[in-house]
Amino acid sequence: MRKLAFIIFLSISVFSFGQNRPLLYNVDDLPQSLLQNPGARIDFTRHIGIPFFSQIHLSAGSTGVTAYDIFSNEDSNVNQRVRNVMNSITAGDFFSVNEQIEILSLGWKMGNRGYFSTGIYQEMDIFAYFPKDPALLAFEGNADNINQDFKFSDVSFTGEILTVYHAGFNYKVDRKLTVGGRFKLYSGIFNAESTNNKGVFRTLETPGGPNFYRHEVLGLDVTVNTSGYASLKNEEGMTVDEAVAELLSRSFFGQNVGLGVDLGFNYRVTDQFSINASIQDLGLMFHQKDIENYTYFGSFQTNGLEPLFPELDENEAAIPYWDVFEERLDRNLNEETTTNAYNTWRPLKFNASFEFGTGKSILPCDYLISKRPRFMNLFGMLISGVNRPKGPTYGVTAYWDRKVNDNLRFRLAYGVDEYTITKLGAMVSSRFENFNIYLAANDIIGYTNLAKANSASLQLGLQFIFKDL
Amino acid sequence: MAKKALFVFRNSLFKIPLLLVLLSFLTTSCFKDVDFEQAQDIQLTPDLEVDLLYYKIDNTDFLDSETNAFTSVIRDTVRLEFLDDDYIQDGLMFAEFRFKHENKFPYLIKSSIRFLSENDRNQFAVNYDIPPGSIDSPSVVDTTYVVERGDIGKVRRSLKMLVELEIIGDGKDMEGELDFSSKGLFKFEF
Repeated sequence: MRKLAFIIFLSISVFSFGQNRPLLYNVDDLPQSLLQNPGARIDFTRHIGIPFFSQIHLSAGSTGVTAYDIFSNEDSNVNQRVRNVMNSITAGDFFSVNEQIEILSLGWKMGNRGYFSTGIYQEMDIFAYFPKDPALLAFEGNADNINQDFKFSDVSFTGEILTVYHAGFNYKVDRKLTVGGRFKLYSGIFNAESTNNKGVFRTLETPGGPNFYRHEVLGLDVTVNTSGYASLKNEEGMTVDEAVAELLSRSFFGQNVGLGVDLGFNYRVTDQFSINASIQDLGLMFHQKDIENYTYFGSFQTNGLEPLFPELDENEAAIPYWDVFEERLDRNLNEETTTNAYNTWRPLKFNASFEFGTGKSILPCDYLISKRPRFMNLFGMLISGVNRPKGPTYGVTAYWDRKVNDNLRFRLAYGVDEYTITKLGAMVSSRFENFNIYLAANDIIGYTNLAKANSASLQLGLQFIFKDL
Repeated sequence: MAKKALFVFRNSLFKIPLLLVLLSFLTTSCFKDVDFEQAQDIQLTPDLEVDLLYYKIDNTDFLDSETNAFTSVIRDTVRLEFLDDDYIQDGLMFAEFRFKHENKFPYLIKSSIRFLSENDRNQFAVNYDIPPGSIDSPSVVDTTYVVERGDIGKVRRSLKMLVELEIIGDGKDMEGELDFSSKGLFKFEF
């Protein structure tokens, strides 16, 4: 258990990165902006990513605790710090880890108004609310929590690994409006989810009752669905390498599949002012293969065991009270393992922003070229969020985007979300001829000491971007 | 051509430091002011309150069902299998038992509560007298028995709870009842 706790907290700390990618949103000379908003304005005519390196994205965070809160090297007792965290953290706090690696990315201009982009990326998304009541029961027990409900609904998590095959089209309707859509095929590698759980455990004082307390489990209804887990579990002696190889082999539609879309638009209200919005991953996964679901349900209550003082001879065995108790328990609290297919929604992401440009850039002096004016400074504000089991998580980011010249651009951002209110971010994108490299990091203050960071995120990529005039 | 290459090179020289500054900042970030070795010291220390046995007996429990003759001693044994579970064997550090009798019989009753191992060896016992009471004014005996770290093996080895009652008297005028409730407070360290 201690090792598990250590691994969890280390994972949270090492991957303490945020979730959305506001630093890449609306960056019109990066193809990754099309993954955020397929209707974004873009400023390139072709792109091809370096396989596996065109986007490496890591993001995660925890809203209620940092590594420092637990593992501070101050003199106080680590168990006291754990107790302090247990008291302050709530069932609404959550941990998340999101990782994306673009395997393939390419696109090209189609006609005067269209841009086709396609690619493959692998994604891992883990999101878990802090299971406050079960954790409290495990850490403290029921003795100091008599008459208090321990809610099983606090157990709520989703986790998935999948490969996404996508193709999108960006279309300039007119000089003001750009729209886009992206069709996605999901190839599920692994999924585990447990949401909408119900039931309580409690220990009630019963002054007029038969014993000191009554222990109750009421309305238990807990389900854990998994796909891609049963076959791994059954492979005894499988090494980590073999397990990874097995998971990777499922990337190509060997397992479960799903469908989804991204939609978005950008509308230029004036030359300087534009608004835009998008949704990503409006889609479903259909889990039909390699399923194993665990369900726990029922109600039970007990005041203890009641001896009946039967008249027994020396040779007669006592009444098997415990066996009777266990039989009653098993009859009332059920456990089932099924292989029923199930569907899951992908975590829907949404973005909406406005942007204001100042400082017109100098356009090429060529009457054959018809380009809208571009601005050296862009000021924007973005609201983004992700749909999660207990409701959406939100973040607001304000940014200043500076195009130093046609080949160098940076963005500075300040954001507020459920992880932190001091989220400073920076992005640099640079071109060497047609070769582009970009690097973005959010929650820079957190990077000064990751132990104290609630979140941070990192994106980097290498690709070829062509801006044929 | 050479001029263009020089221009690109100069431009690159200008950009590379920017990227390097950001990259080096990210790669040199680290965990400060923490000691992950403390993970070894993290303990789960739940305190669990658990009901044990309860009963409510009246005069019929002291009468032979066939002959109706008075029996002054009755007893029963209940297996408490949970005491043999791994979490008890590995993590139990402290146990506090509470036994409460409420006597409405007009007789003194000797109560013996014994915790036995699988092979019926006595591990520990709690014996006390319950003074006579009446229906209107029951006598109450509320007893706490603590088993601490040094003796905790006695609880870990226990698997059965034997309760025995002996009425001191002739058993005439046996109107009344005897209520019993019991619980355990178990403190763990994992």
